[in-house]
Amino acid sequence: MGVSLHNKDNSLVRLFKWIYTGFDRTIFMGLKFTLPTKFVSPLGFLGMLTFVVFIILGITGAFLMLWYEPILDRAWDSVSKINDTIPYGFHMRNIHYHASNAMVMLAILHMYYQFFSGRYKIRNEMLWVTGILIGVLTILEAFTGYDIIFSERAVLAISIAASLTNSIPILGPDMMNAFFGSGFHDFVLRFYAFHVFFLPIVLLGLMVVHFPRFLVFDVPMVMAVTGAIMLTGGVFPIDLGLKFDPTVPPGVTVPEWYLTGLYAFLRSAFDKFTTGVLWPGLFIFTLLIIPFIDRYKKFSWKDRPIITALGITSIAQIIITTYWGFYIDPDRTKSLLERLVIDPIFLYTVMVVLVPLSFGFTYLMIKLAKNAEANAKKQKPAEKNSIQLPAKWLYILFIVLIGFQVYLNIAAYYAVLNGMKNYSLFLIGILMLVFSGMFHLYRHSRGLTKSNVEVVTTNKRKFVFPSFGAGSTKSLPSKTAKVGELSDSSDRIFNAPSDKSLDDKKPVPVPEIPATKGNSLSSSSSSSTNSATGVDTTSTTDFTSPNRPNPNLQTNAAPLHSSKNDQDDKKLRQRINSSEPSNATSISNMGRSTTNNPDKNRT
Amino acid sequence: MSQRQPPNVDGGKISRRDFLKLLAAAGTVMTFTPFVDWGKFLPNPKESSEERSKVVLPDGSQANVNSFEVNHAEAIVYPMSEDPVLNEEAFRTWQFIRLPPELGGEKNDASAFRMYSMVCLHLWCLWKYWPDDGRKRGECPCHGTMYDPLTGVAFAGPAALQAPPSNVLPRLDLEVDDEGNIWIKPPNWTPSGNGVVGYGRFLT
Repeated sequence: MGVSLHNKDNSLVRLFKWIYTGFDRTIFMGLKFTLPTKFVSPLGFLGMLTFVVFIILGITGAFLMLWYEPILDRAWDSVSKINDTIPYGFHMRNIHYHASNAMVMLAILHMYYQFFSGRYKIRNEMLWVTGILIGVLTILEAFTGYDIIFSERAVLAISIAASLTNSIPILGPDMMNAFFGSGFHDFVLRFYAFHVFFLPIVLLGLMVVHFPRFLVFDVPMVMAVTGAIMLTGGVFPIDLGLKFDPTVPPGVTVPEWYLTGLYAFLRSAFDKFTTGVLWPGLFIFTLLIIPFIDRYKKFSWKDRPIITALGITSIAQIIITTYWGFYIDPDRTKSLLERLVIDPIFLYTVMVVLVPLSFGFTYLMIKLAKNAEANAKKQKPAEKNSIQLPAKWLYILFIVLIGFQVYLNIAAYYAVLNGMKNYSLFLIGILMLVFSGMFHLYRHSRGLTKSNVEVVTTNKRKFVFPSFGAGSTKSLPSKTAKVGELSDSSDRIFNAPSDKSLDDKKPVPVPEIPATKGNSLSSSSSSSTNSATGVDTTSTTDFTSPNRPNPNLQTNAAPLHSSKNDQDDKKLRQRINSSEPSNATSISNMGRSTTNNPDKNRT
Repeated sequence: MSQRQPPNVDGGKISRRDFLKLLAAAGTVMTFTPFVDWGKFLPNPKESSEERSKVVLPDGSQANVNSFEVNHAEAIVYPMSEDPVLNEEAFRTWQFIRLPPELGGEKNDASAFRMYSMVCLHLWCLWKYWPDDGRKRGECPCHGTMYDPLTGVAFAGPAALQAPPSNVLPRLDLEVDDEGNIWIKPPNWTPSGNGVVGYGRFLT
């Protein structure tokens, strides 16, 4: 950050900055947080969103612990009390439940995005492996969570889990005794301990390893996810289920959606160990070793056909089995066994048939995508058609949104007064979404005030503010101003020392990072080239990938395999120097300069 | 960043950027206002109703002025819960005393009766009333605090040394209907009202 930027800070800002510098020697400085100053696709930071949902789960879960009683005959009753009697207990429980689903969903999306974009390469193998473990533990965490309600469904789920554990050769029976104890009383207490302590603490430990050094915290997207969770809780409030009574025959139930795939296999009446332990174990193992069997040098899904086809196959099979696990023959005249059992030959035939279908689909998709890419290269890139609202209207929209929030506040308050809990949760969810939109509007208008957009004031005087904001073709007055326009954290990223681990790939040792070499650039922009050449891919690709992820990733990867990295660096720096007058922000600018980077980088 | 702010063209009025910040602050406040009320999740919602409730003796019958012995005490659960575990807890345990004759226990109205929290104000042991001649007082088994049955004041022992309100037992107000049945009036759980269990009451 420039020196001149601090002179007008108020005392509160100075206090925060003082505290912030106080963290200089702590581990947190290893993490680089980026608050995007404009909309970026959430696909790049799904992991961060998953973590945010994990935090939401931690907070609501901690509050639920105040009322939940992990005791055999009190567990269900205490949940019922939370749901019906305790003020806002309904809200807490529904947020907790729907956030658990959201976390599993976001984790799966996160995994597949990283899978298809090949992010587990470039020494991210450890991140990938820990991520898979975190994913497995997340599902176990969710599983233990819905079991400790101790409803009928929970007991069915526990009994299946216990019998699966028991079916493991040699160790199984001992493991079952260790994890489940003996009898219902032990189940509840142990699963509670796993749910609130063992699993979260292991998850947190793995997360410390899993965190990349560059993180994107997008406030509007975080608030939107929070709002969506609340809104879902309001529209689809989760029921309690029936209290478990060993003398009453339980109804036909299915597990949560992330386990119905497994449930489909279990229902095929094949050997329990094979279907319930071996298949999911094989799936998890395959995911774990994917970075080590993927030998493609390129990153894009289009350039890794076999791996992409594997991914597509797994998605197809997950979708089919998840749906199948939910499906129970509604014909009540048949026996329960007949309704439940899935013909194993049918099931496995479908699973096998899905493989060539998925490979064919992948082949088709890659063909189409490459065609589209070739066509796009021929044509001029289409002008980005962004919404251009006059500043005045932005303010009016802002004020309208605040007014809407006032209404939502009052409505939510009256909803609570009248006992309409789900409606109030729904309204608060909307409130969060409105805030998310408002925050986006705020950062948009903030960028507007310092962009090249002509701001017409009330005095009808025109000002042109120097910046690299979107939609301008004017060149910039100076490089330093351009760098200054970056957000603080992104600036920090670019000043970060280059990854030393990359050095050992180079045959010629590079003594200095380019930023310290004498050249015409300011330190910030030169180190930004550094990041653009693929050393700090995580953050840059996050920004650029939504538009054109593939060439970008490719070229980012290129220097990794290059034997003349510093030369490339210099070339790139010059290129960035020359490519100043562009429409994009400096961040996407960097992305573009790398995308223009021809493939000759690769040796 | 403030350096590159536009010159203030509106003549010293609020700048564009500041106005934006103001709007954002207002929006943030509006967003998080509903969560203030969520604090109600923490305290236990009051189970005692606004209506009077019966004084239920351990045998299950309602206490009656015509049948309850003079100079006698029973442990009463209030407020009575559906949950047997909660009914066992000390904070719901009250000592229901019919005063000895010399303190007016022979009258057939509410003034002959007292109902004090059994939780000792010193360290939360359960004290009880001893009707024996020469005692006729509440005594705590732990550190020997003694309570005056007429007022609930600790007159000896460690609780007697505590500053008000922690030297007077919380007390429930009683009323007697036409049939002589005894009822507990809706309490006011404040130190200056019926007192706070385990903390005390101001003697008015």
